[in-house]
Amino acid sequence: MNFRLLNPLRRLARSDNTGRASITPRRIYILPTGNGVLFAILLLLMLLGSINYANNLGFLLTFLLMGLGLVAMLHTWRNLVGLELKCGRAAPVFVGDAARFDIQLTNRRRWSRPGIQLQMRSGTPLTIDLAAAATGNLTLTSKASQRGKLALPRFTLSTRYPLGLFNAWAYVELNAYCLVYPTPGARMPESPLPQYSRSQMGDRGVGADDFTGLRHYRPGDSPRHINWKALAREQGLQTKLFGGDRAEKCWLDWHRLQGDTEQRLSQLCRGVLDASGGDIEFGLKLPDIELKPARSQQHRLNCLSALALFAEPK
Amino acid sequence: MIPASCTPLSRVQQYALIALLTLTALPHVLNIDSRISALFLVLVVYRTLAIEKSILLPGKWLLLLVTLGALGNVLMHYPILLGRNAGVALLTSMLALKLMEMRVRRDVHILVFIGYFTLVTQFLYRDDSWLVLYALLLLFGLTAMLVESSRSTASANLIRPLGVSLSLLVQALPIMILLFILFPRFSSPLWSLGAETGAAVSGVSGNISAGSISRLSRSPEVAFRVDFNGEIPPPAQRYWRGPVFWFSDGKNWNADENEELAGADLISLGQTVDYSVTLEPTPGSWLYALELPVKVPRDSQLRSDYQLIRNTPVKRRVRYSVSSVLDYRTGPLAEKERQKGLQLPPGITPRMLDLVTGWQQQSRSDTALVLKALDYFRQQDFYYTLYPPLLGDNPADQFLFDTRRGFCEHYATSFTLLMRIAGIPARVVGGYQGGQVNPLGDYLIVRQSDAHAWAEVWLQNKGWQRVDPTVAVAPERIQQSIDPNLINDIIGAPILFGEIDSGLLRAMLNQLRWGADALNASWHRWVLGYSKESQVYLMRLLGLGFLRGPKLAYAMVGVTGLFILFLTLTLLYRVRERRDPISSTYQKFCQRLQRRGLVRLAHEGPKDFAERVINKCPELAGSVSAISSLYIGIRYGRQDNKPNRRRFNRLVRGFRP
Repeated sequence: MNFRLLNPLRRLARSDNTGRASITPRRIYILPTGNGVLFAILLLLMLLGSINYANNLGFLLTFLLMGLGLVAMLHTWRNLVGLELKCGRAAPVFVGDAARFDIQLTNRRRWSRPGIQLQMRSGTPLTIDLAAAATGNLTLTSKASQRGKLALPRFTLSTRYPLGLFNAWAYVELNAYCLVYPTPGARMPESPLPQYSRSQMGDRGVGADDFTGLRHYRPGDSPRHINWKALAREQGLQTKLFGGDRAEKCWLDWHRLQGDTEQRLSQLCRGVLDASGGDIEFGLKLPDIELKPARSQQHRLNCLSALALFAEPK
Repeated sequence: MIPASCTPLSRVQQYALIALLTLTALPHVLNIDSRISALFLVLVVYRTLAIEKSILLPGKWLLLLVTLGALGNVLMHYPILLGRNAGVALLTSMLALKLMEMRVRRDVHILVFIGYFTLVTQFLYRDDSWLVLYALLLLFGLTAMLVESSRSTASANLIRPLGVSLSLLVQALPIMILLFILFPRFSSPLWSLGAETGAAVSGVSGNISAGSISRLSRSPEVAFRVDFNGEIPPPAQRYWRGPVFWFSDGKNWNADENEELAGADLISLGQTVDYSVTLEPTPGSWLYALELPVKVPRDSQLRSDYQLIRNTPVKRRVRYSVSSVLDYRTGPLAEKERQKGLQLPPGITPRMLDLVTGWQQQSRSDTALVLKALDYFRQQDFYYTLYPPLLGDNPADQFLFDTRRGFCEHYATSFTLLMRIAGIPARVVGGYQGGQVNPLGDYLIVRQSDAHAWAEVWLQNKGWQRVDPTVAVAPERIQQSIDPNLINDIIGAPILFGEIDSGLLRAMLNQLRWGADALNASWHRWVLGYSKESQVYLMRLLGLGFLRGPKLAYAMVGVTGLFILFLTLTLLYRVRERRDPISSTYQKFCQRLQRRGLVRLAHEGPKDFAERVINKCPELAGSVSAISSLYIGIRYGRQDNKPNRRRFNRLVRGFRP
């Protein structure tokens, strides 16, 4: 089914604002399968034979099979009608990895829907039997070949149930994407690592190294930090505040690197991965964005996504 | 990952398929050569053993060997592969071979299809009602195998696919009945696989005697088919002329194939009719043509008595084009013809002579005498019957005065004899009369049951004229064909007994017997014997008499389409899930906001959504917060009661952002 010209005319099942795509009757295409064509030829032969021998029992059986074929067509179609699909969050991957999209299929009917199949273009088909009023999950994988947002490609939902004579399918487009980080490249040049820089204002924040000031005691403050001298001067309970743990900090700087955009991004990606493995606080400097040095899982993800989305048209 | 079509078959599936297909082919075991049946059974048993011991599964080379062996086996017994038995032998062997090869899911379809076909072929041999039931059960099982194989994983037990199969079949049943009733029936086979019937061909021959044509009349076989270039003439004019019988020895009348060639003394009084005839094999070399043929087909000759005779006997089906005139006058009578036309056999009795003398005294012309003779047949108590009483040494005399029950040949021969006694040259003509029009192909089908005999007399100024004494006795014979199926159709007529009080049980038993008999009769009449005639009759009974031919086909498509539409709507209705009314009302509220560009996001609960809406459009604050809080109260809180639901519905209904 690769008629690119017809793409604009294709009826797609798109996800709505809640991310769900529901298969409505008009979104479903149906055609006989190879076996279906064979079955039709068989019926034609039976019919010709019955006519020729004027065999009424032959007619009877032939017509029963014809009816069976027609009814099977309806059931194949109905096996998709009303099915709901939703895509869960896809975990970010690096370029070259396979992005995994979890598709949740919801059957709200009181009857089962066996033989449901999902397939991306040029991918292996995945099948599932949905029980009555149940949900099922299938994971579609797509190779991430480019940095940035990888949208879940259009895929087909199809079924041949109950007799395998007809193939009913719908094109589904779910509004979901997977973030693709650049491939980690060569190591960063040694020079910027490690670099200690201290702000002139003194460090603010919570720590244990530098005294930064006093404040009123709050229940729960450690008794060690109570300013006993002030209490003795009858100045009330005061708590001493400390801040600014000493830490190695570094900047991962775009401008220090050589090469084209992708090479630099790859190197920065390697830098982020290396830096987040140790105890270093690191910041990221890109031409249009600067992430302050920090040291947390969230910071790491922020940096990686900044690299992934660098110079990405909005 | 393996595609679904290549998934190996489970053991249960293999057992079920082998069992079902063996049962499918079983009734054929008696129909085909025992060695082919034996090979089938051997292969099936081998394959069954291979389910448990997969080492026995045949490899590529063994399969090839077995295939060649099976093919050779079939060819040995049915060398030309033609006809019913050869076809079934081939089918059965194919079934066994495919079973041998069966491994993965893809094979199921082919196997089941061969199974379906095998089921149908059984009806070529038998039409017992138990066989129908048997076939239906197997069909049900085979369909379940298809259902099972189109799932993505095997179902827990086989009951579920059987249930699906049953529901599909139940839904297909009305379609079957509609198609069966409405599918246009053909009166003749499309082609003939005649190899099987080595029996002598039947048809009008060069010799007739009392009873020879009535025997033919019981055969529904096709004699010939005719395509007309123009309109088909009405039934009363469809006299298909064959042999002409001149000589009689009192019992038999013989035709002469060696008559002189026809002269050019025919005067046509009307238009000629052009048509082509496809003649099935018949005895002799007569070709059949309407009334008097004028254009002679190739390889044949027209004799002076207008017999159309082919140069070689008609042993195979032939097709020829002829032109005929329906209104004509033949020329003067040759002396030789006069002599032959007045030849009298021995055995003319005094009462025959008296009868003719009486007519001669009352009539002035030959024409009047012919009419007198016809009146005699009409007024005396003559009967037209297929089962006339046996006649003795002098059939004509006996028939005319004693039995008076006869078929067309009795009337034609005795009438001719009477004419000859009266001195009017006369002869008997054999052939066919009538035929049915096939509305689909717009051609005429003439069957052996249309065989007929009539007389021709030579009258001054008119020449040879056709006289059909049968019309005097049974005028309807000319308007309608005899349906061989209806000859014995006297089933169901109640016999009146002397009414004795025989008790309730006896009466009920009798009733049951009548019911069973009626059921049997209607099975025979409406299912096994359902034909073009019964179709026309049924349509007329339903007040749909106008449905004929192509119209019937349109009706079939239309009605079946309507049923499918009905089924679709039913299925769709059942698909629709019942949503909680409150949540669907809330959905409506969201839709109305959506129209203003306020779309509820996937992660937004009703509360967050309401807050966002109020931030953006403060003028909606009152109604939005009322609706949202009521919704939250009903769905998640403890405010689910009737007045609240009603209030909620009213609020949403009145909500017009």
